[in-house]
Amino acid sequence: MASTSTSMRTSTLETLGLGTPLEAFRNGRLPVDTASLVDQVFGPANDRGSMVISGANGIVGAGKMMQFASRLQPYGVTIVGLDMPNAPDGIGHKYPGLVASFGPEAAARIMGGIVQLKYDGKTLPPALAGFTPRFLLEAIPEILEIKRAHYATFRAAFPGIEIRSVTSGFPSRELGVGVAHPAFPHEINKVFEIVEDTPSAITQLLWSMGLIPMEVGDHWSFILDVLFCGVALAALRYHETTNTPYWKIDKYVRKYFGPNPLRAHDAIGAKGANFLTWSCLHHLSKEYGPLFEPTADLTERKETGQTWYPPNHFRPLVDWALTSDDESEFQVAIAGPLIQMTALMIHERRSHLAHMNAIGEICAQFRSGLPAMIRSLGADKARSLVAAYHKQEPTAAASAWHADALDRLNEPEWQQLYVNAEHDGHIGVVTISRESYNGDVDAELNRAIDWLGAAKIDAVILSGDFHLATQLVGADTSEFYPALDDVKAGQSLSERWTSTARRLHTDFKTSVGVITGKRCLGGMLELMSHCHFVVATNGTQLGLPEVTLPVVPGMEGCHWNFRKARKADWPKLLTMLLSGKSVRAEETVGWLVDATGSMDESLATAWAIASGTSGIARRAFDQGALEGLPEPTGLPAAEGPSLEAGRKAILDCARASCGAPLADALSIQAKHSAEFMKTAACRKGRVGSEFIKTMAI
Amino acid sequence: MSFKDSLYPRARIPYGTWGTSFFPAWQTSALAEVNIGQFAAESMNRILGLRRVPTAALDYLILGSTIPWHWKFWNAPMLAATFGRRIPGYHLEQACATGLQATLAAAAQVEGHGGDVVGVLTFDRTSDSPVGVFPERRAYERTFALNDVWENFGFDPATGKAMIATAGAAARKHKLDRREVDEVVFYRYQQYFEAKQSGFLDRVCVPLDILNLQGKLMGRIDQDTGVRQITMEALGGMRELDTCVTGGGQTHAADGMATLLVTTQERAAELSPRPEIDIRLVARTETRANPGLMPEAPSLAVQKLFAQTGFTMKDIAVAKCHNPFAVNDVIFSKLLNHDWKEVNRTGCSLVWGHPQGPTLTRSLIEGLEEAVDLGGGLVLLFGCAAGDVGIAAIFEVGDRARAGKTDRRTQ
Repeated sequence: MASTSTSMRTSTLETLGLGTPLEAFRNGRLPVDTASLVDQVFGPANDRGSMVISGANGIVGAGKMMQFASRLQPYGVTIVGLDMPNAPDGIGHKYPGLVASFGPEAAARIMGGIVQLKYDGKTLPPALAGFTPRFLLEAIPEILEIKRAHYATFRAAFPGIEIRSVTSGFPSRELGVGVAHPAFPHEINKVFEIVEDTPSAITQLLWSMGLIPMEVGDHWSFILDVLFCGVALAALRYHETTNTPYWKIDKYVRKYFGPNPLRAHDAIGAKGANFLTWSCLHHLSKEYGPLFEPTADLTERKETGQTWYPPNHFRPLVDWALTSDDESEFQVAIAGPLIQMTALMIHERRSHLAHMNAIGEICAQFRSGLPAMIRSLGADKARSLVAAYHKQEPTAAASAWHADALDRLNEPEWQQLYVNAEHDGHIGVVTISRESYNGDVDAELNRAIDWLGAAKIDAVILSGDFHLATQLVGADTSEFYPALDDVKAGQSLSERWTSTARRLHTDFKTSVGVITGKRCLGGMLELMSHCHFVVATNGTQLGLPEVTLPVVPGMEGCHWNFRKARKADWPKLLTMLLSGKSVRAEETVGWLVDATGSMDESLATAWAIASGTSGIARRAFDQGALEGLPEPTGLPAAEGPSLEAGRKAILDCARASCGAPLADALSIQAKHSAEFMKTAACRKGRVGSEFIKTMAI
Repeated sequence: MSFKDSLYPRARIPYGTWGTSFFPAWQTSALAEVNIGQFAAESMNRILGLRRVPTAALDYLILGSTIPWHWKFWNAPMLAATFGRRIPGYHLEQACATGLQATLAAAAQVEGHGGDVVGVLTFDRTSDSPVGVFPERRAYERTFALNDVWENFGFDPATGKAMIATAGAAARKHKLDRREVDEVVFYRYQQYFEAKQSGFLDRVCVPLDILNLQGKLMGRIDQDTGVRQITMEALGGMRELDTCVTGGGQTHAADGMATLLVTTQERAAELSPRPEIDIRLVARTETRANPGLMPEAPSLAVQKLFAQTGFTMKDIAVAKCHNPFAVNDVIFSKLLNHDWKEVNRTGCSLVWGHPQGPTLTRSLIEGLEEAVDLGGGLVLLFGCAAGDVGIAAIFEVGDRARAGKTDRRTQ
C-alpha cells in the first residue's frame, strides 16, 4: 500500500511532530507512548527524576500539580511543589476535586506522589536535590527579572533541567526558556500554548497523557490572552463610552459571542486576573499600539483588585436594555477589535488556524472561534465591522490592522477549521476536532466527504482528531435555540444534519466510525452510528443523553441502530434512549458497536475493516418498516415531568420512525424532534433554560 | 432685565444631561421595596448613559435625600461605587429644598475648584419609611420610636403643629377662597396632563426597569402612578381637612430620583448635546416665615430675591415651584400679583408627588427644558421646606457665545 497521503489541510498533529491520523491508523498505533516519553523526560525507572512546579500553591501551580500528579503518578514520577513559606495552601484546596474525579483511594494515591517544599524565593531547599528535578514548570509571578533569576538558580543547581514557563505574556525569547501556557480552569483545562523551536519530548508527553498542547508563535502575549484580554478590553471600552454596567455587558457578550470576560476575571480571582489582563494589554499596546491600550478602570483595578461584578448585597437593581441600534453598536464594539486582533495574529502566522480557532472556543468560551466567526461573516463584512469600530475608536485604526489577512477565506485552512480529511489513494480518514456537533462541523464534514468523493475514495474512517477533540459530547445545543420557537427551523436542522450523517452510509462502500477518548454521546454517537462499522476503545462511554435535557434525538438515534441490531437487542437500545444512561463500549458490541479493543487494537481494526482485510462482518441493515418494537421495561421511575415528557416523546418518535421505511424515516424523526422542541417540557428543560439565561436578557 | 451677576460664574448646568425617574405614589411601585440609594445611583448611571455622558467624566458627587436609607453612612462614595466610579462626595438635606440646595452646593463646588464635573443625585423613598429608635432618658416615654415620614409630617417640634395645619393657617391669614384653591388644583392637573400629552415629560423622565434578586423584572417605573384626572365637581365635593385644604389640594408621598450635572462652561459645551445653550445660576436666597405659616414662605423668598436682584415677575420666562399645598400658589399669586396660571406650566409637585429629596430637582429640570423651548430666559425656582422655610433661585438659560460677555465677575 502506498505510504504517501494527501490531505485537505495540514493536520494539527503534524505541528507536534506526530504525523497524521491516517498514519496512526495505517500503523495500527499512536505515534508515541507515554512510558517511553516519561523515560525520555524523567529518566529510566531506575533513575527516575521528578517534576518541579514552582509557585505550586498559586491558582495555576496548584491546578497543574493536580493535573500532572494524576497523570504521572502511575509512572513513579514525583511532583515537587515549591513555594514560599507564607503562600496559602492552594494544593490542599484541590483535594476535594481530586476525590470527586478519581475517588478517595486514587486521590490519596495521587497525593502520595506529591511533595511540597518551601523556599525563600532565592535559595533552593537542599532537600530538592534528593528528588532529582528533571523538568521545572515555573508558575511564579509575572515579573520578568524574577523569572529569569529563578531559571538561573535552577540551572546552576540542576544543569540540563528542562524548564517551561506558564507565563501568559512574556515571549520565550525574553524569558530564555520554553513556554507551556495553560488555560483556566487549571486543574481541568487540558490546553497548553506551547512555544518552542521544534516539538519537544515534553510537548509530546503532554499530548500522550491526554492533554492538548498547541504550538503557537513567540510573541508578547499568546493567542489565548490576546483573545481573552481582547474581549475584556472591548467590553471595558464599551462601558467607558456608554456607562453600561459591567454585568450587563457581560451578558451581551455572552449572548452574541459566548464568553463572560468580566465574570471570568472575578471567578479566576480579580486581583490576579486584573493584573494579568492589564499586563498583557500593556505589553501588547507597547508592541502594537492603541488597539490594545488598557482602559483607565482596568488600570485602576489592577492596583485595587476590585471585582467587576457587584457584591451580593448590591446585586444589580436597574436593568439596562439595549435598543436594536444599541445592539448593532455593541456588536461593532466587540467584534470589531476582535477581528482586528485576529487578523493581526493571522498576519503574524501565530499558529495553525484550527489552533487559533480552538483556543478561542475551548479556553476563552467563544461560541465560535474567531476564524470561524470571520468565515461566517465573510471577509467584506468582517472588514466593514472593523471600519465601523474605527469610527468608534479612531486610535485603533492607526496600527496593527492587517485587512489582507482575511483575503484567503476560501482556502482549505480557513474552510476546514473543524474537520480534516486525508487519503492515501484508497482509504480516507476524516477527523473531527470539535467536541460538539454544530452547523460549521456539518458543513465542513460535507466538504470533506465531497473531497474524498472527488478523489474516488470509497472507504473512509471517521474519528476524532486525536488532538483537539479528546471526546465527542454530542450536538452543540446552542444550535437548537431557533428551534425553540420555530418548528420549521428545528425540522430543517434535523434534516440537514441527518442528511450529512446518511452520506457516511451511502457515499462510501465502507465507512468505519472510530470512537476513542472518554465518551461519545448524543449527536456524535448518532453520526458515528451511520457508518457501516463502529469501532470503539475499551472503557469509552457511549450514550444518548437527550432524554435528560430533554430533547428528541434528531439524527436518527430513534431508529437507525434498531435497523442494524438484532431484535433481541432492541430493549438495550430502547433503554439507552429512554434512560439517557451511558454504557461502556465493550458492553455494546453487536448492537451498537462492531468491535472494541485497546487504542492500538482499535486503530488497527478500523484500518483492517477499511482495507477489506478484517474478518468482522457487516451487520445487516433493515431498510423496511420494523415491527415488534418492545414496550420499555426496567426503567427507573422518571424524576419529574420533564423526563417523563422526554421519554414519551422519544418513545413516540422511535415507534413512528422504526415503523416507517428508511426513505420516510428521516423526515418523520425530524418532525418529532422539531415538534418536541417547541413544547413546554423542552423549554423548561436544560436547552430552554440555557436559551433564556443566554439569549433572553 | 438689569441684574447681570452670576452667583457662581464658573458653574454651568450642561443642557440635556439630566433626567429624573417618574415619581410613583408611595406603595404603588417596585420602588417601595428597594434600596433607594442604590436605585438612584444606578438610575443616574443609566440616565447619563442615555445622554451619552460617561460617568468617568464625573469627579465629585453630591447626594440629596431626606429619609434614611440603607447604608446611608457610606454616603456618596458608596453610591458612586455602584456605577464603578471611586470619586468623593457627600450628602446633604433640607427637606423639600434638598434638590435646589444640592444643585447650589454643586455649583459652589465647581466655583471653588472642588470639582470640574459635579453630579447632583437626589432621591427619596417615602414608602415604608424607616422607624428610628431614639433613647431619650429625659422624656417620659424614655424611648422615642419615630416613623421618619409620617410622624415628621405630623409634628413640627418647633411649633408643635402638623404640616397640614400650616396650610390651613396660611389660608386663613390670606383669606383664601376655597373655590379659587380648587380651581388652582384643577388647573395644575390640566397643566400636567397637557405636558404629558405633548411628550414634554418624555424628555425629562426616564422609564426604568427594576430587577429582583434573581435578576428578573420586578417592576417598571414608567408612570407617575397615582396621578389621575380630576374634576372641579370632585374637588368641590372633597371634605376640608383644614381651611381650604382637601385631599385634592395637597400633594401625596411618592418615591423617585432626579439627577443633573454642574460643571464649567468649557466642560458643559463638551458634555451637552446642545453646546450652544448656556445655563448658569444667577441668584439665590432663603427666608423663613412666621411660625406655622410655611405656605407663604416661598412667596417671601421670591420677594426677597427680587429685592436683591431687581428682577420682577415680568423678567421671568419660566416659574416653577414646589407646592405641596394648592394654597401656596394662591398666596403667591396674591403676594406677587402674578397669575397663578403662568406658574408650573408643565406640571408640579402638587400633582406628581412629593419624594422630598428630588422634588425641586425635577422642577428645575422641567423649568430649564421649558425655558429652552421658549428660546431662553430666566427660570425662577422656589418652594417651601420644613420649618416654615422658603427658598428661591434664578437660573438663566442663554446663548453660550453671549454668556461670557455678560458675566461681570468673569470680566
